Amino acid sequence: MNPETTSPPPSIPEHELIRQIGGGSCGTVWLARNALGAFRAVKIVQAESSRFRSSLQSELNGVLKFEPVSRLHDGLVDILQVGGGQDAGYFYYVMELADDIATGQLINPEHYVPRTLAHDLKKRGKLTIGECVRNGAAIASALGFLHRQKLLHRDIKPSNIIFVNGFPKLADIGLVSKISGPGGQIGTVGFIPPEGVGTPQADIYSLGKVLYEISTGRDRNDYPALPEVLTDTAEDRDLVNFNKIVLNSCRADYGRRYQTAEELLSALVSFQFSRYDPRKERARRLLIILVSAGGLLLFAIIITLFVRRFLWLLRHEP
Amino acid sequence: MSSDTTGFTEEFVPTRYTLLSRLRDWEDNDSWKEFFDTYWRLIYSVARKSGLTEVESQEVVQETVISVAKHIHKFRHDRKLGSFKGWLRNLTRWRIADQLRKRTKLPPDPELPDLDESELPEFPSEQLDGNSDTRWEKEWQTNLLQAAIDRVKQRVSEEQYQIFDLQVLRQWPVSRITSTLGISAAQVYLAKFRVTASIKKEARVLQKEWEEI
Repeated sequence: MNPETTSPPPSIPEHELIRQIGGGSCGTVWLARNALGAFRAVKIVQAESSRFRSSLQSELNGVLKFEPVSRLHDGLVDILQVGGGQDAGYFYYVMELADDIATGQLINPEHYVPRTLAHDLKKRGKLTIGECVRNGAAIASALGFLHRQKLLHRDIKPSNIIFVNGFPKLADIGLVSKISGPGGQIGTVGFIPPEGVGTPQADIYSLGKVLYEISTGRDRNDYPALPEVLTDTAEDRDLVNFNKIVLNSCRADYGRRYQTAEELLSALVSFQFSRYDPRKERARRLLIILVSAGGLLLFAIIITLFVRRFLWLLRHEP
Repeated sequence: MSSDTTGFTEEFVPTRYTLLSRLRDWEDNDSWKEFFDTYWRLIYSVARKSGLTEVESQEVVQETVISVAKHIHKFRHDRKLGSFKGWLRNLTRWRIADQLRKRTKLPPDPELPDLDESELPEFPSEQLDGNSDTRWEKEWQTNLLQAAIDRVKQRVSEEQYQIFDLQVLRQWPVSRITSTLGISAAQVYLAKFRVTASIKKEARVLQKEWEEI
């Protein structure tokens, strides 16, 4: 828990705080139960010193902008209630709860651990290219929607992508702000583009780094190096092709990146339709074998006919 | 081209010295970013090797950079604080100690000054033990090469860096690279030549700059 916020959490109307499940420099996240018995996540941001007052107001501003649009897209975490304020010295917001890593939506409060993309990555090393495409497309779609509302997320990373009913959603909205123009180094090291945050292209860069990590299993700071192990399998051939989308999302020159989340989404969808299909590959190999065998047979027949003709001529030569 | 008060153009002043000068300006975001990009790996690596977690090490990086920001002005005017290399080592050590104290919930150690206070303690580098010196020197040198690579990464195309990584760092044969990436052998040799030359040049520049600090 943040040492600056060691006092007991404030009471949240119509919610019972069960236990703390997360925390950082800007607040704590609690597993809670509402009056109807449904489990929720509650983030509480307290400013117990003047040092944190400005960050509290900054996060509150972002939440107030995000809340009205949060329930309009499946790829954004739903904000269900907001309360408190700067005068109270704290504020909170109630969110839908991420799946449990083991039991999904069946929540056991004692053992609950939220499922995030970071958790999946840590557990499995890397994801299949199919999963990368599906997760990437879902988040790119949500990001495009957010950008059309003139908002930026500014902290896209695997630990801020949660799963709800198995569907990926952008969460941790503490740094949401309006589009302002390039500049500023807010966010998480390695996910911040060279020109700084403040533009849709910066969010696209961060998402590109997420796709890099989940597809290669490597740390974002290793970008653009390819995976340690790269074989001649269909999956790795897909990875090399998928990597082109990653590169076009994370170009150091932001003018050469995908300019909109929709462009990234379109690239992911096109990739999905053109990617390696084992059935097509088997058919292609069978065709090659048949054509080769046919060619060899034809060649053998021609040679046989030629030899027979040659021998016939020898026998009947006057 | 800009000039400083001495009348020299920036072209004739060692870049890193110029960078440290520019860091006095809190609003100079580009200079702070350049500073951060050059030194964060060094601080992070030392923190990790001190037994801190990834999150704790990231905090050490942030807090060390904040300490530099607060006290760079005094450092620039007080040569008793020694070289920049030694000064940065001390700041990093203190911030690592802060994290270890947080973990064990020990009271503040009076021997490890809190640089959030207004006064910057004078902590000559000679007071540090030899092992720590050697480890820091090793990390410093490793960081030099890594900083050079990081800078070059920003300038060459991502595809060229990937080829360089496969051929030079991982020693893949050219034929394997061409078949895996679907490119010609000429592209492989060209990328290797360009990236290697750029990294060598950048490492020489960094070495010279750091020696002059």
